[in-house]
Amino acid sequence: MNGNLTVTDCGDSALVARAVGLDTERAWRLVHALADALDAVRLHGVHGLVPTYDALLVEFDCADTDHDTVRRVLWHEAARIGADPEPAAPPRRFVVPVVYGGAYGPDLPEVAAGLGLTQDEVVALHTGSDLTVRCLGAPAGAPMMDGPPFPAPVPRLASPRTRVDPGSVAVAGRQAVICPMPSPGGWPLLGRTPVRVLDLHGDPLTPYRPGDTFRFVPLAPERWDDHAGTPLAACRG
Amino acid sequence: MADTLTVRTAGIATVQDLGRVGRSRHGLPAGGALDQHSARVANVLCGNDETAPLLELTALDFACTPSSDVLIAVTGAPARLTVDGTARPQWEPVSVRAGETVRVTGIRLGLRVYLAVLGSFEADYLQGSCAPDTVLGFGPVLRPGDALTLRTACPPLDHPYSRIPLFRLHAPVPPFPAERIIDVTDGPDRAEFGDSAARLFGTPFTVSPQSNHIGLRLRTEAPLPRRVTSGEVLSRGVPVGAVEVPAGDELLVLHRGRGVTAGYPVLAVVTATGLSALGQARPGETLRFRHRTLAQAVTAHRAQRLAIDALRTRVRTAFGTLRIPVPADG
Repeated sequence: MNGNLTVTDCGDSALVARAVGLDTERAWRLVHALADALDAVRLHGVHGLVPTYDALLVEFDCADTDHDTVRRVLWHEAARIGADPEPAAPPRRFVVPVVYGGAYGPDLPEVAAGLGLTQDEVVALHTGSDLTVRCLGAPAGAPMMDGPPFPAPVPRLASPRTRVDPGSVAVAGRQAVICPMPSPGGWPLLGRTPVRVLDLHGDPLTPYRPGDTFRFVPLAPERWDDHAGTPLAACRG
Repeated sequence: MADTLTVRTAGIATVQDLGRVGRSRHGLPAGGALDQHSARVANVLCGNDETAPLLELTALDFACTPSSDVLIAVTGAPARLTVDGTARPQWEPVSVRAGETVRVTGIRLGLRVYLAVLGSFEADYLQGSCAPDTVLGFGPVLRPGDALTLRTACPPLDHPYSRIPLFRLHAPVPPFPAERIIDVTDGPDRAEFGDSAARLFGTPFTVSPQSNHIGLRLRTEAPLPRRVTSGEVLSRGVPVGAVEVPAGDELLVLHRGRGVTAGYPVLAVVTATGLSALGQARPGETLRFRHRTLAQAVTAHRAQRLAIDALRTRVRTAFGTLRIPVPADG
């Protein structure tokens, strides 16, 4: 048994495994290691795994398997993994050029004012450290990252936008994200990258995976075209 | 030249299948036919693989004409199905001659009709599925004049003059009642709602026009269930069918196009069979929820699947007897 896990029914076709009593880093590592383990087992009937921060959703077809079978495999794998799993793959690093402010990041002034910082200070913090991808989220393949070390959480927009341009770089709460495709969104926009974050026809869909890191670097607006449409790729080394 | 199925009246028609299953880890919604049961049965009635491309017709009248003899099956919400003006049955294979016009009109007591063709037709795929996804910007809505390339033809089967229906395969037809009952089980966060969780039952809910394949918004005159706990919920995976209670005055029920993560507590989860029924809910109609145990929900889903398996066997037998070529991938 693994004392750091609870497993709860989630309707007739899913279970939720949740890490408990662990710090956020270890909770995150446990649920992702568990997802990797279930992926490797290829349990008949299981068709979806959604590991996020402290929880793993396991989706299955209850005509092909059942809650008890999936639960047993979850407990078995959790016991095998233990409380302190190693990352499945060495993290890779992605460097992402971003044009900040102006039409590219219309909410930069408001975010800066809310944090009591200058716009340059916000950019300096956003570009000053590697940000870890924790999970892939809505609308599809969006890299959900730990946010930069801002002095306070960033509130969401009072009125969400109906359309956010692809490549928009946004923050909310203690999180950061790149919007990979046009979609509605309520997160304040700091800037926009000209690189193509993901290829809808790619397999896998995203070049990055949870555990990888992103480093944002400021880009002058006149150099947008130098990077426009370039596929995002991991740095060597 | 390849044979085609040409759209005459498009209504709201899309090329559809059972969805991009298995990609939720990459943040991709499942998508696919909202009434999975009807979609499966339509393909099975044509001897196709269940995952073959078919047409999903939403609410509005539709017409198409094949350039070769074909066998079709129309399932889903009750509607009037005609072939060159002659009424033909839903939920059975129907033989259509080259140049005849298939019409689906007056969709009622539900929202979606499925039309499958023996051998299916060519379709574009994205991430393992031809299902449209408005967020991904994939999958066009069909327009009059669009021609789908048929993968195979089927010799004419029924009597050319009497048009007596040839098949009586007894496909499992779900109920399409005037007031839909949607089965749900307890959600993982039910306890957070205390006694107010019971408000989900016993009161009718009205389907808002802002409902789509991502989710249905439901309103009621009665008080909504409310959380008795507070605090933010970390974003985590939510299942298709999750019944959520955002801050406003509506319930949100996630369907197959839902983003895979969300931050609201999950009060209840629509059952697998309930999701097919919910996929037929029309904006403006009222529906009620019914509480089921997990065991009841699983049993109902398995019974529905077994009925499809039995139908597949009957189709194979009937097609074999009539020397209908069963599609290679079926």
